[in-house]
Amino acid sequence: MEGFPLVSVSMILPLVGSLVVLFAREELSKWIASIFGGLVFALSLLSLLFFDFSKAERVQFEEKYPLIPELSLNLHLGFDGLSYIMYILTTLVSLVAILWSTRDHQISHRLKEYYIWFLLTETFLVGVFASLDLMVFYVFYELTLVPMFFVIGIWGYKLRLYSAYKFFIYIFVSSLFLLLGIVSLAVQHFRQYGKFSFSYFDLLNNSYSLEFEVFMFLLFFIAFAVKTPIVPFHTWLPDAHGEAPTAGSVVLAAILLKMGTYALLRFNIGLFPEASVFLMPIMVLWGIFTIVFASWFTISQSNVKRFVAYSSVSHMGFVVTGMFLLNAEGMRASITEMFAHGLTSSALFMMAGFIYNRLHSFNMQALRGSIKFMPVFALLVAITGFSSMGLPGGSSFWGKFLTIVGAREYTLLLAFLVIVGAFFSAVYVLYLLKTLYLDTKEESRLVHFTDLRGFKLTAFLLVVIPMFLVGFLPFLFFAFYDPYIDSLLGHILSKALGG
Amino acid sequence: MEQIIRIEYPDLWLILPELVVLFTGFILFSLDLLYRRINHLLAISISLIGYLLALLLLLLNWGMEGETFYGLYKRDSFSSLMQAFMILLTMALLGFNYLYYRHRRSLYGEFYYILSFSLIGGMFLVSSYNLVVLYVALEGVSISFYILTSLLRSDFNAKEGAFKYLMLGGLSIALASYGAGFMYLYSGSLDLRYILTHVGENHYFLVLGLVLFLIGFAIKIGAVPFHFWLPDAYQGAPTPITAYMASVGKLAFFAPVVRLMPLVQEHFAYAWITTVGIISALTMLYGNLTALVQKDVKRLLAYSSIAHSGYIMAGIAVAEVIGLKAVIYFLIAYSLMGFGSFMVLALLERLPGWENRLEQFSGMRSSTPWLAFSFMVMLLALLGVPPTVGFVGKALVFMSLSFERLWWLALVMIVATGLSTGYYLRITALMFMKDSRISSGMSVSQTEKSLILLITISIVLLGAVPIILWSFVSSSAENLFMR
Repeated sequence: MEGFPLVSVSMILPLVGSLVVLFAREELSKWIASIFGGLVFALSLLSLLFFDFSKAERVQFEEKYPLIPELSLNLHLGFDGLSYIMYILTTLVSLVAILWSTRDHQISHRLKEYYIWFLLTETFLVGVFASLDLMVFYVFYELTLVPMFFVIGIWGYKLRLYSAYKFFIYIFVSSLFLLLGIVSLAVQHFRQYGKFSFSYFDLLNNSYSLEFEVFMFLLFFIAFAVKTPIVPFHTWLPDAHGEAPTAGSVVLAAILLKMGTYALLRFNIGLFPEASVFLMPIMVLWGIFTIVFASWFTISQSNVKRFVAYSSVSHMGFVVTGMFLLNAEGMRASITEMFAHGLTSSALFMMAGFIYNRLHSFNMQALRGSIKFMPVFALLVAITGFSSMGLPGGSSFWGKFLTIVGAREYTLLLAFLVIVGAFFSAVYVLYLLKTLYLDTKEESRLVHFTDLRGFKLTAFLLVVIPMFLVGFLPFLFFAFYDPYIDSLLGHILSKALGG
Repeated sequence: MEQIIRIEYPDLWLILPELVVLFTGFILFSLDLLYRRINHLLAISISLIGYLLALLLLLLNWGMEGETFYGLYKRDSFSSLMQAFMILLTMALLGFNYLYYRHRRSLYGEFYYILSFSLIGGMFLVSSYNLVVLYVALEGVSISFYILTSLLRSDFNAKEGAFKYLMLGGLSIALASYGAGFMYLYSGSLDLRYILTHVGENHYFLVLGLVLFLIGFAIKIGAVPFHFWLPDAYQGAPTPITAYMASVGKLAFFAPVVRLMPLVQEHFAYAWITTVGIISALTMLYGNLTALVQKDVKRLLAYSSIAHSGYIMAGIAVAEVIGLKAVIYFLIAYSLMGFGSFMVLALLERLPGWENRLEQFSGMRSSTPWLAFSFMVMLLALLGVPPTVGFVGKALVFMSLSFERLWWLALVMIVATGLSTGYYLRITALMFMKDSRISSGMSVSQTEKSLILLITISIVLLGAVPIILWSFVSSSAENLFMR
């Protein structure tokens, strides 16, 4: 695959798909979207053979096209280990979302538009993770808003308009701070090197006073804290997730939130190591606070989608805590958790959508015992639940366990706080499983339920199988980002602690 | 002693495009005098041929530099760039006006030659440092605009708008000329470059003159608190003329201020940054806050135009070359977005019962999908969503603010943009997420359709591939700074 423009092909394929959908007959659109989604996923799997894991800290599949040479603005694309695993998550979840939509009752009108928006989202998401130029990153980061705005607003549930506005306004406004931060870095580069640059690698060399660095850190942080989201910036998320159609929630939770955490790790920590070290205690405690509070919110939800949404916030708390521990275990935990949460949140939202299609309700109490008549579904939901809870062998185990290990490197108390967080996040999963499996009620109207099969089963399996992979063979995943973490820690050491 | 008068023959080559436009105007004027009922197709053709010729001449002599008429007139890359866009937008306007005016039963021959005269005024306005030339050009554009605004003779709103415009326009001209007088008193010259580099006594004459002069222009560009005429004039004017005022008008009225930027950098930098910064902040906030509560979309876009004056002024506050680049880019960006969005309204006004009310946009997607899509792109561009020209403009303004460390103004801009999200999104959501209230699409000519799509494409293309416009903007800004 030497010289093969993997990134641009992965971005262009969905774009071509959306054009084909535009000009094809409406009833064909879901097939076309599935085919193109599958092609991109296959391509990402195929590219695994050509990724050099021993040099995963370096950018591979690199491409560079000049946009404004005077400002050193380039469409500079490529993957290192961290972005590469996000790319694979993106192609996987996009395919899952499209496959799920083909059998979703909610998606019965304006099919062409629907699939066009989904394919475009995939293009933009690959762009986000592949961008090595901050301005280009920003462009893709913002672009993902537009399709999601329409997906929530057109195909969502009752309060869809309100939620779509809220989603767009929150993230758009917060990312204006990011824009200001990005251009300020370019200006700073100009002051130090005599030329503007938006290139990540150029900006890594900038040096700042601590005050300025903290200011820049905060500009970036506002945007990513809202996107991630961290309590108290999370209020857009339950609305957006609660009202979006199933596939929309899947993409939102599994990938869009990861844009925030990915960017926190790569940009906030990478570009502002000194500020990160300086603010580390606050960030770690903030992460733990997010875990605990979001867990409480989760348990108090009666709407199953909002339940899963809040649980996502709590998981993001782990991701933030882990990365701001600023040690190898913490970062490893953080990235593993990002991937793991992508899988479990997809499955949990599909669970909610699946039940809604049968019961027309998201009310937790209405679901009691429903699962009894759908053994395959029941099994997969149980696996997902335990996985998400952090049971050994499940995907979230390594995220949580390694966060505790990472925290223990500092103090026992910090590790204890993380354990408290982990405890709370286990509570809500158990509560969900209890409601679904152990509570019973009149069963006559549930007895006709058909089990998962066909496309929906495929979609479910596509995320459930990797959960075991993460749980049992975590080293496969560590191989992606361990070299990256080493180089990042080296960078922090040299910049912030003077070597 | 015998005084030696140096006679300089004007280099007409430098103002050939202007002469062509002027000549076109006179032909149209004569035709209108000779034939009481002018053939509109003929008038449009003559206009188009004239403008196209002027544009070709501009392009042929691209990069030409020089002054003529004893330094009254200057051709440089900045003026060429501005003029090229002015001519292009005027040509686009001609593609829309006929059906609009026929529908409103207000077809008059004077439209064509007055349009020419306003264009020539604008072209002169962007190419001079001389106060008298600026004054005459300003009058040329303004008087044409008053007439164009009132061209719907039977429409009360148009007359009201034109009247308000005339009154405040008169005030602005008076202030500007009064300011020019003081500046002359200070320096004994009418050339802005000389005035601002001159070291004389009575410094306060200069300051007073400059302030009055700038207030005159602040009225013209609708900066708060001198903006009162703008919403009424924009709303009352025939919609294609509103589009014209928002695009060509903005380009023309901002140009002399842009020319001032490099000049103030040496002596007035601090006062300039503070004053322009505060006016810009007020303009952004006021424009967006007021737009947020509008129910009439034409008025809403008028307020959005005020807000955009604020964004552009934020760039002007940074009297550095990077600020200048941002301003020129944003000016051109806004001229495209403003022109396009008002033109969409002009087309919609053909629907029976259409009053530009917000709720009438519901479900536009199902009746005229192409128009809804184009309007969406324009609105998102006005909001500053990438990859559109509006985004590049905003990013460049942010960059220049960061360059000058004007963090407070940048934060105001973020708040203002946040406010604007509300109304741009509301229209977008109405068009795409609500059920249709429009029974059928309107009759639109192929020319109009292609023009709207062309503007939409250029809004995206110039944003996604910014280098196309950037190189021109960059070189003309650097050129202005080098003097």
